[in-house]
Amino acid sequence: MIHLRHATRRQVRSRARTAPGRGPRRPSRVAALAAVALALLAAGCGQRMPHHTEAELQGRGDIQGSIRFSWWGSASRNDKTNEVADIFEQDHPGVRVKREAADFSTYFNRLNVQAAGRNMPCVTQLQARQLNDFTDRNALLPLDPMIESGAIDVSDIPEDVLDTGRGPDGKLYMLPTGIAYDALTVNASLVEEAGAQLPPENYDWEDYGHFLESLRDGLPEGVSPANYQGGLPNFFIAYLSGLGEDLFRDGRLGFSRELLTDYWEMWVHLRDEGVTNSPDEVSEEPPSPEAGYVAQGDVVSDSGPGNALTPVQSALEGAHPGQRVTTLPLPSGPAGTGNILVSSGMAIPRNCGNVPTAAAFIDFWANDERSGDTYASDNGAVSNTRLLERQLNDPDLPETKKHELTLYEELVARHPENVLYPPGYTAVFESAFTRAFEDISFGHASVPEAVDSFFAEANAGLAN
Amino acid sequence: MSTAPGLAAVRTPRQSRPAHRPRPPLFGRRLTRSPLLLAVARHSGLIVLLVVMLYPLLWMVGASFRPDNKVFTTLGLFTGDFTTSNYSSGWSGGDQLNFSRFFLNSLTITVLAILGNLLSCSLTAYAFARLEFRFKRVLFALVLGTLLLPYHVTMVPQYILFNQLGWVNTILPLVAPKYLATDAFFVFLMVQFIRALPRDLDDAARIDGCGHLGIFCRVILPLSVPALGTTALFTFIHTWNDFLGPMLYLTDPDHWTVSQGLGSFLDATGQSSYGSLFAMSTLSLVPIVGFFIAAQRLLVEGVATSGLK
Repeated sequence: MIHLRHATRRQVRSRARTAPGRGPRRPSRVAALAAVALALLAAGCGQRMPHHTEAELQGRGDIQGSIRFSWWGSASRNDKTNEVADIFEQDHPGVRVKREAADFSTYFNRLNVQAAGRNMPCVTQLQARQLNDFTDRNALLPLDPMIESGAIDVSDIPEDVLDTGRGPDGKLYMLPTGIAYDALTVNASLVEEAGAQLPPENYDWEDYGHFLESLRDGLPEGVSPANYQGGLPNFFIAYLSGLGEDLFRDGRLGFSRELLTDYWEMWVHLRDEGVTNSPDEVSEEPPSPEAGYVAQGDVVSDSGPGNALTPVQSALEGAHPGQRVTTLPLPSGPAGTGNILVSSGMAIPRNCGNVPTAAAFIDFWANDERSGDTYASDNGAVSNTRLLERQLNDPDLPETKKHELTLYEELVARHPENVLYPPGYTAVFESAFTRAFEDISFGHASVPEAVDSFFAEANAGLAN
Repeated sequence: MSTAPGLAAVRTPRQSRPAHRPRPPLFGRRLTRSPLLLAVARHSGLIVLLVVMLYPLLWMVGASFRPDNKVFTTLGLFTGDFTTSNYSSGWSGGDQLNFSRFFLNSLTITVLAILGNLLSCSLTAYAFARLEFRFKRVLFALVLGTLLLPYHVTMVPQYILFNQLGWVNTILPLVAPKYLATDAFFVFLMVQFIRALPRDLDDAARIDGCGHLGIFCRVILPLSVPALGTTALFTFIHTWNDFLGPMLYLTDPDHWTVSQGLGSFLDATGQSSYGSLFAMSTLSLVPIVGFFIAAQRLLVEGVATSGLK
């Protein structure tokens, strides 16, 4: 009965509420709700940056409290990174490093949202290719005052390498810590089997073409001399760099249409000569180096990350026991080396409330021997030459890693060109480049048509 | 169809084709009339189709038992190398991987999300299906309109809001909205379902003294079990598989979900562990398959009776 009485009261109330023509006449409540919603929205949009004192901007102050630190990588790199962060915490009692890891593509998706919410981690790992997406939004603090004050020591980092962390205004926004480079990954065993020779030192694109032709007839059934990679931006950047041309100039494409036409026609010619695999195969290739065609022994040579030599060799060993893979510099040109350096490093965002600790962490990462030994150039060769020498002198260093670091030293000695990537490089340039070449590969456009559409799309995108 | 077209209108029933006359077979002559043979043929066809559809999944399970560097060496299911090390190293390898915790985190978020959606979406649906109030149509159109908004559009404003509330790195951004009927799809699904229930039942309950809450709890909810089951199942699948939400809001590895754990096996710039990835992916499918089997009947009924496809 109690239930019934309650129900009846509720019924009366609900009837009153739902009687026809009697809606909720409470404009004041609706207005209040709208006001709260607007206030929340305004609060969200108007989130303020912390105010930094002069000393903080110089990285001076107490090293204490907690900082967030984010990087990209898989489980094995995460373990090494955690170890380095643990050593820093032990050195500085009272400091806590909160860690945020994700894989490369996911990492930048999240970082973009965090930057929009002004919630980037105090120590944020960045790459030169994406750096200006963030400097453009004025999201990062310049590190030069911290270097001048001595909070961050860069005396062991070569000037050429340090410059890869600069923004368009010449200020240093990212301290380069690991330097990656692309290399020609070649299955040396298959080259031997075909009775051919590896390309000579300082080889150019013509030599590369001859090398591929020399492989054509001596390879096992189903194995191609090269991946059909005319749509790979890094390969093209090497071509440009060898010719001494600029990739970008004043925020637009810095090279001519004729140059790109020549480049893509060269690839079409290579394919017509039968020294590459098919466009279908290239479009189906998985992105990670271990699953790629060179690592599986289906293709002899391709451009790939130089630091992927160790995992590629391991995968090739599984697929074709006994086969050996090696890396060479990318083809050179009349103006010199085709290789450029792609640096990864650490930046401090403007929203960071604990700049001194962040600066101390970056200094520790870049200079401490325990940091260098533990991380062991997992994400590109360590930028600090002293730490690099230590690793090269380590007798336990695996052979493939030693090769990777030695090749890096060789490339740095050639003073490679520094590319200043404009904001939107990845979103605009890379995707448009790959898509335009796919149009050629799959017969949707001729080379000049694809070049025109690429120029229109890339220049329009970069102008935004 | 031998009759001339002009006569069709005046044709009497007697003139029409006898009902018992067998229709000519659609694809040539029937080879056999034996029900057994027909059943065998039909089932063989279905089994072949099933194997083709399931093959990628079976390949993944097969690859999870191969050594890491031999994962991609064959399109077949089995090679001579058999190892279970992918399972042990994937489950708790290194100091960051801890799939016991990831499974627990995923389960917590999923259960809370299901409860939230069941509660809030059914209440909202009841209001839209049974109550009369001002701007009902407009509000319902707005709710449905949110279906058209891709998640990526609201991602940044939501992140800013949750960051202001101090909810980042907690499960609240993933769970709390579920208690506010933000999944318009399920609201729509249940509105359709509740509209199909006879209003006489509500009236009967009202005569017996029930208010709206009483009608909702005693009449509507018990009759809506198929729709609730469908909601629970889809919420389960969606929440369990969600990667973008946890990736944005759960940054501390202790709070990671299974999908984030799986993501940590791969990285285009370093060493990936495909063997462990496939091993843990296989395990992560178990709860979904189990839940689907348990709720299959409800799912079919829910989809059939609410007119959704």
